[in-house]
Parts: sequence; structure tokens; C-alpha cells
Amino acid sequence: MHGIKRRELTQELLRKKRARDAEKITTYRTLTERVLTSKARGYYTPDELEITTRLLELNPEFNAVWNYRRDAILTLKEQLRSDFWVNELKFTTRQLQAYPKVYWIWNHRLWCLNEYPGSPIERWQLELALVNKLLSMDARNFHSWHYRKIVVKRLEQMSRKNLNQQELDYTTEKINANISNFSAWHQRASLLPKMFAMGQIPDEKSFINRELQYIINAMFTDAEDQSVWYYIKWFVRSDCIVSKLNTEEYKNLLQQIKNGILLINEDEKDFSGKENMWCLKLLCVLETIQIAQLKLDIVPKRSEYLDKLIKFDPLRQNRYRYLAQRP
Amino acid sequence: MINAERRRSMAERRPSTLNRSSFSAERKSSIAVVPHLAGIEDPLPETTPDTVDVVLVGTGLVESILAAALSWQGSSVLQIDSNSYYGDTSATLTIDQLKQWVQDVNKSNLKCYENAKLHISSNIGRGLYKSREFGIDLSPKILFAKSDLLSILLKSRVHQYLEFQSLSNFHTYENDSFERLTNTKQEIFTNPSLPLMTKRNLMKFIKFVLNWETQAEVWEMYRDKPVAAFLVDKFKLEKAQVYELIFSIGLCYNIDVKTPEALQRIRRYLTSFDVYGPFPVLYSKYGGPGELSQGFCRSAAVAGATYKLNESLVSYDPDTKIAIFGDGSKVGVTEKVVIAPTQCPENSRNVPKQKYEVQRLTCVVDKPCSEWFGEGEYSSVVVFPPNSLKSGNRQAVQALIMGAGSDVCPTGTSVWYLTSTESGPRGEMDLDAALGALEESIMRESSADIENDEGIMEVDNSGHMTLNSVKLGQSFKEYIPREKLQILVKLYFKQLTSTPPFEVVDSSIFDINEPVGSELKKLIPGASDNGVLYTPLPSAEISYDEAITAARMLFQKIVGSDDDFFDLDFDDEDEQIDESAVVDDDEDDKMNMTLDVEMSVEPVDFAGEMEI
Repeated sequence: MHGIKRRELTQELLRKKRARDAEKITTYRTLTERVLTSKARGYYTPDELEITTRLLELNPEFNAVWNYRRDAILTLKEQLRSDFWVNELKFTTRQLQAYPKVYWIWNHRLWCLNEYPGSPIERWQLELALVNKLLSMDARNFHSWHYRKIVVKRLEQMSRKNLNQQELDYTTEKINANISNFSAWHQRASLLPKMFAMGQIPDEKSFINRELQYIINAMFTDAEDQSVWYYIKWFVRSDCIVSKLNTEEYKNLLQQIKNGILLINEDEKDFSGKENMWCLKLLCVLETIQIAQLKLDIVPKRSEYLDKLIKFDPLRQNRYRYLAQRP
Repeated sequence: MINAERRRSMAERRPSTLNRSSFSAERKSSIAVVPHLAGIEDPLPETTPDTVDVVLVGTGLVESILAAALSWQGSSVLQIDSNSYYGDTSATLTIDQLKQWVQDVNKSNLKCYENAKLHISSNIGRGLYKSREFGIDLSPKILFAKSDLLSILLKSRVHQYLEFQSLSNFHTYENDSFERLTNTKQEIFTNPSLPLMTKRNLMKFIKFVLNWETQAEVWEMYRDKPVAAFLVDKFKLEKAQVYELIFSIGLCYNIDVKTPEALQRIRRYLTSFDVYGPFPVLYSKYGGPGELSQGFCRSAAVAGATYKLNESLVSYDPDTKIAIFGDGSKVGVTEKVVIAPTQCPENSRNVPKQKYEVQRLTCVVDKPCSEWFGEGEYSSVVVFPPNSLKSGNRQAVQALIMGAGSDVCPTGTSVWYLTSTESGPRGEMDLDAALGALEESIMRESSADIENDEGIMEVDNSGHMTLNSVKLGQSFKEYIPREKLQILVKLYFKQLTSTPPFEVVDSSIFDINEPVGSELKKLIPGASDNGVLYTPLPSAEISYDEAITAARMLFQKIVGSDDDFFDLDFDDEDEQIDESAVVDDDEDDKMNMTLDVEMSVEPVDFAGEMEI
């Protein structure tokens, strides 16, 4: 395991460990049996609720137990202590700390927030702070990004305030910290069309130009990073961008990207003797737009690029062959 | 032996009775009891043992690491030092101790040091500052986050006696200004002044150097060539980046450093980055190698080593295997006597030649220098590449700046350690020129004029960055300071060493007195040090790497192999900690409604879990 020292267990230690494990297994089995029996009988008591806590601490992936827990909570709703919901949220926070990638915990947390008495806006604001914290610890956890979207949407509904600009700034912050953040680029690509449509971008042309410099900067910083290339692919074909430019401007934008890519690819060939596959793929995309859409009179090199890709990237050769047959 | 003027020792700051652990009950019971060290907390032992396996003379870092390694391996060790303090060439001294030390150097009582000059302002001692508020290192060092010494500190648990702080700011002095390093992907990406192709070339190099050894096809042709040629030819890097890589990231002194050596050093920096956080380097609070030496001595004492300060070796006889000490006592030696060249007995004839010079200029100034530090940090490194100074320096000068937050000097002051490998009078000239450059820089950067100048970078609301002003430093080129910097302490000295600058420890120095073939080398009649091993003295190297290499080599010489070199395993307690940390019943009480607190419970564990 990463950074964890492999330990030679002495016989004595091994015995102790086995004894501890055996005890754990027995506990786990006993708890499971009890919960599943109660579940089958539709039996809900505060004690049963407490048992699910212990079981979920041992195994948060046990979704049937989460379902049973929710049924129990709803049944016992009237007799729950006043601080129950706060404690329930604390419980899921603790669980998320230990297991940040378990769907059922996120799911349960969201359910709690919706069931929370009154579901006040302050509660949701705290929730956004929690997501920020989680994303500062692992900026690429897509669970957190997905959850963030839900929380933001709720906040927008409650406050009747649009948060697009704030969220766009947030993606910039995360991309600047690490450009290999697929989630952040993706979030950016889903925000921009909305912002253009709502007229939230004041000077559209200069915005597009700065965004262009931003992505060119990114591809020069790391030409190996596929999240950047995906974003570029989206950017050059996205209606929200293209519709804001006249033909000349669009041509110009494509050419700027193309020049950068050609430079990077040449440099790659110089340095390692190999061409950069992402460069070749993007060149195909750009050329298709230039010829098919803009009717530019340029020498087509697409089949040449695809031939190289077939050679350099044989695992996807059939995909490239298929593309080559398409006009 | 308690001297009123000394600084609080490590053991006093962290007494053994104090249990620092608060994780779990299991851990509390298992922490080793740390005994006080003779000479510091306890009176010197009345008697010395009759026989020991190894006698170590000197408590410098190499000898102290060796003492701990040998003691834990099972050898019985007697370690002595002729000084009244621990550390020898690695010591951390108060101003009064420093005065005494300079006198000793100039009376030639201290071998291997020359030409010590000390100026002390009247503000020290009489009123404003007290002598023991300062802890001046004789050979300042920084600790890379990914290095042999760090893993040994952890393994041996010596880190528990120490406190570490991070250092992330490395500056390169160029054209009269300090450029902060651009070395992470984030900084390369967001730096608006780097040309696009330079960004690409830098990133390409950084990716390469992390695994440079396995890509011989890239550098093989440059094996015996200077790294500068390699960086320019292969990666098309510009002078500014080449200098940053060689001198600030690689911390080399010379432009001629060979490609493999330089790549090794550059990688050391980059792989250390982000191991414990966004910084490559740590240092120990309260003083550098002096603290570490004490830590290893303490660890050795836990494992049974005996300590005596104010004790010197008079002679060793390899035939009878008896060592005689200054107080007339004797000890039988079953294995080896190991001596620091600074503490060799009179009539020594076998001390290795100390043919390399390290010139140091250490100043305490009345400026906090926080301008140069990273956020929440108290130190930085400034490198002056060749030919960047008025003296036309041929070698780089390195400066380690330590602020008051590192507890080596009082609030409002800082310590500047300047080091050069240049020999003779040129060395002193280079150091003076670097001091002048630092002084000029801090005077204009800390002047009130600049305080109104908020940020140089402007970020618009979609995150696009623009540069709205020239770089800090450059813009004040014409600035003439109204006040002069107050230098509270100024110390020059020259130290000699057998280790060539920025190379690994030369193992041939350990071969003296070793049998050649089957024949014993002739012993020198009348010499008091026949049959002993000498340790290497610190070189100008700013990291701890050479100390650990030397200690390991000596260990191997004495024990026969280095298999047992800190082959320690205190880990059995950890397993229980892990399990008890998973579900902690107390957690509910610690959990607070405020999210910060809620999320900050054991953040380290959490962060670890998140990394997938």
C-alpha cells in the first residue's frame, strides 16, 4: 500500500490480530442478523435505530441498512429528541470523513437535510461550507462536485439569487490549483452556456478571447492532461461560444488553437520522437470544422493524422478506422 | 555543569515526564521513557564503564546519529565531548557561548576553524536583547521532506523530541531583485509572465526529472557534461530557468556541476514538495543540527549509551585497546574509537586532510524580514547565482534566513546565514557583497513606501490574470533607503572539511588506519590516534543528506554491514492506534456545530483517506 510499511507479523502478533478480527466478525454478524430480522418484521424502536448506527459504522456500504434506518426514523419521528437531526448530520459528517466516496452516505445526508425540520437556508449554507472543506481535501472527488451542484441549486431556489458567477470563480480557483481536475473543467463547461443564455457575461467577445488564452495556457502547461483537451474540444464546438462570433472571429479562434497544437506537437516530436496523440486528435476535430463547416480551402490532413493515430494508439485503431471512413 | 547563560535545552522544553500523546490510552503507556542527558539536566556520571564497544569523541551530528544507530543495534557506546555543550561543529550557541567559541578558534584551541571575526552590538547583553535569546548554528541546515534523515527521524522516533516548521520560499537573486521560484505546476500555470513555450519546457523537464534515472536515453550523452548544457540543449530552457533549477532548486554552488549530480539534487527538491504540505523543506525550531544532535544523543541514551561532557580523549592504544581520557580515567574498547577531527587528541598524526574551505558569514539584524517568508512561515532561502553579485562571484552564495518565529532570535530580529565555497579572500568578498545585496533589498522592501502597494497581480472576475505592475524589487531599483540596517551580530569564520563541496562524503577518509590487504598499515610511532576512525566535518551542503550518508558508512565500517542501521520497529503500538482512531467514542464531544471544528478533527487521517 502507498506509504504504509509492510510489517512482518510475528506468530504472537498474528494470533492477537486474528483474535481481534474474529471478535469483530462475530459482532458484525450479530448486528447484521438483528437488523435484517427487524427489517423483515417491520420492527422499529429507538434501540434498533442505535443498532443500525453501530452496523453502519462497521460497513457504510450496506444500503439496505440505510433504507431501514430511514424507515425507522420516519416511524419514530414524533418521539425523537430535539437534537436528533443535528446528531444525524454529525453522524454522516463523521462517516464522510472516513468514507468520502460512498454513495449511500451522501444520499442519506441529502435526505436528512430535506427532512430537517423547516430545512432552513442557514442549514444549506453550512452545507456549502462543508462541501468546500471536502473539496479542499480532495478537489477531484466527483461525489463532492455532484453534491455541490445540488446544494447550490437549493440555495438558489431559497435565496432567489443566482450563484453562477460564484460557481464559475470556484472552478477557476480549483483549476488554477490543479489543471488536471476533470470535475472542475466539466463544471465550467456546464456553467458557461447558462451564463451566456442569462446574459451574465457582460463583454462576450473579450470573455471568449480571455477564455481562449486561458485554455491555450493550459495546453502548454500540460499537453498530457486529457481534461484540458476535453474542455478544448467542448469549447470550439459549443454553441454558446460559436454563436457569439462572426465567421472571421471563429476562423481566427480555431487557427490560434491549431497553431498552438502544431507547435506543441512539433516540440514533442523533437523531444521524444513521438507525436502527441491528443494533438493529433484535436487537429482532426479542428480540421473537420474548418473544412466541413467553414468551407476553408486548406490541404486536408485528417486521414494522415488518423493513420498516425492507428499506428501510435493501436488499442483504439478500429475507432480511428471508423472515423477515417466517415467523411 | 549548569551554565546560567545557556539556552533551554531540548529536554527542558520537552521533559520526559510530560506525555505529549493524546491519541489513545494504549499509546500513553507505550512511550519510551526519555532519560535526561548527563551534563545538561543531570550531573556527570561519577564513573565511566570499564569497557565499551565504541567510544565516540564529539557530539556533532554525524557522531550523534552514529551513537544512536550503534546503541539501538546493541553496541555499548560511550560518547564524550570536550565542550560544555552538545553539538560540537553542529552546535547551536548563545551569543556568550559564541564569544567564547571565537576566542577558542583564534587561540587555535579549535582545530578546523580559522579566521573567526565577531562583532557584537552593544544592544546585546546590556538591555535590549539577552545573550540566550539567540541560538546561532555553526552549520545551519535544512531538511528535505523526502530524505533519508527524515525517515530515520521518524523510525527512531527522534522527531518526537523536536518541533519542525515548514520553509517554502526560495528566492533567486538576479538583476538586483529577488525572484520567487516558479516550480509547481500551479505556479507555472498561473504565472502570467512566463512565455507559453517556457511553461511547456519547464513542465516537460519536471516530469522527466522525477524519473530521470530510468530515462538514460535522454541524458546519457551528458553524463560527464555540465547540467547547464543539458538543460539548454535538451529542454531549451532559458537562462533564468536554468539558474533557478541549478542554484535554487538544486542548491548547487557551481555552474559546472555534472548532469547526474544536478538531476539528483533537483529531484530531491521536487519529490519533497507536497509530502507534508505545499513546501519542500522543513527545519527544526530553536536551532538546526544542534537540536538534532541532542535528539539523537537522547535517543542513544534511551538505548543505553553513556555521556560525558567536558571530557577529552588523550590517547588510544590500538594494541591494548585502551582509551585514556583527560580526567585520567580509562576504558577498554572492544570495537572502535571514532573521533571528530575537531576533538582529536594532542599528538594526532592521522587526521584526514581538511582541504576544502567553507566560508560563513552569520548576521543577526534588527529586521523581522517577514517580506521574504511564505505565509505563516519564518524562514526562507535566498540564492545568489555566480556573477550576480558586485564582487563578480564565481560560485553561488547561499543564504538561509531565519525569523524570530523559529525561536532562534528575539522578536523584531532575524538571523542571516550566508555560505560560500569560494576559498581565500575572494570568499569573504563574495559574502560581503551578498550581505550588501540582502541589506539593500530588505531596506527597500520593508520601507513604508511599499506597504501601500497592494498586489501586483490582478485577477478579474472570471479568473483571468493580468500583470498590473512590474515585479517587486525591480520597481524600486532606484530607491535609496533613508535608514541603515542595524547589524546586531556579525560573525565571519572559515571552516575546513574533508568533504568536497556538494559531493558525497569521500569514503577514503575512513580507510586511514585500516589494514591494506593482509598487512596492517604501519602505525605512526608516538601518535596518539593510531587505529581510530575520523568522521567528516560538515561541508557547505545546506541539507542533512551528507550527515546521514557519513553516519551510515561509519556504521558499516564498525558493525560490518548497514543492515541494522536504525532497523527499529516501534510500530506495534501504531496498529492499536489505527483501530482506536477509527471509531473514537469521545468524538461526539469534540464535534462542534461550527464546521471548521467539525471537519478539523484529525485532519491528517482524513486527508490520508481522501487521497485515492
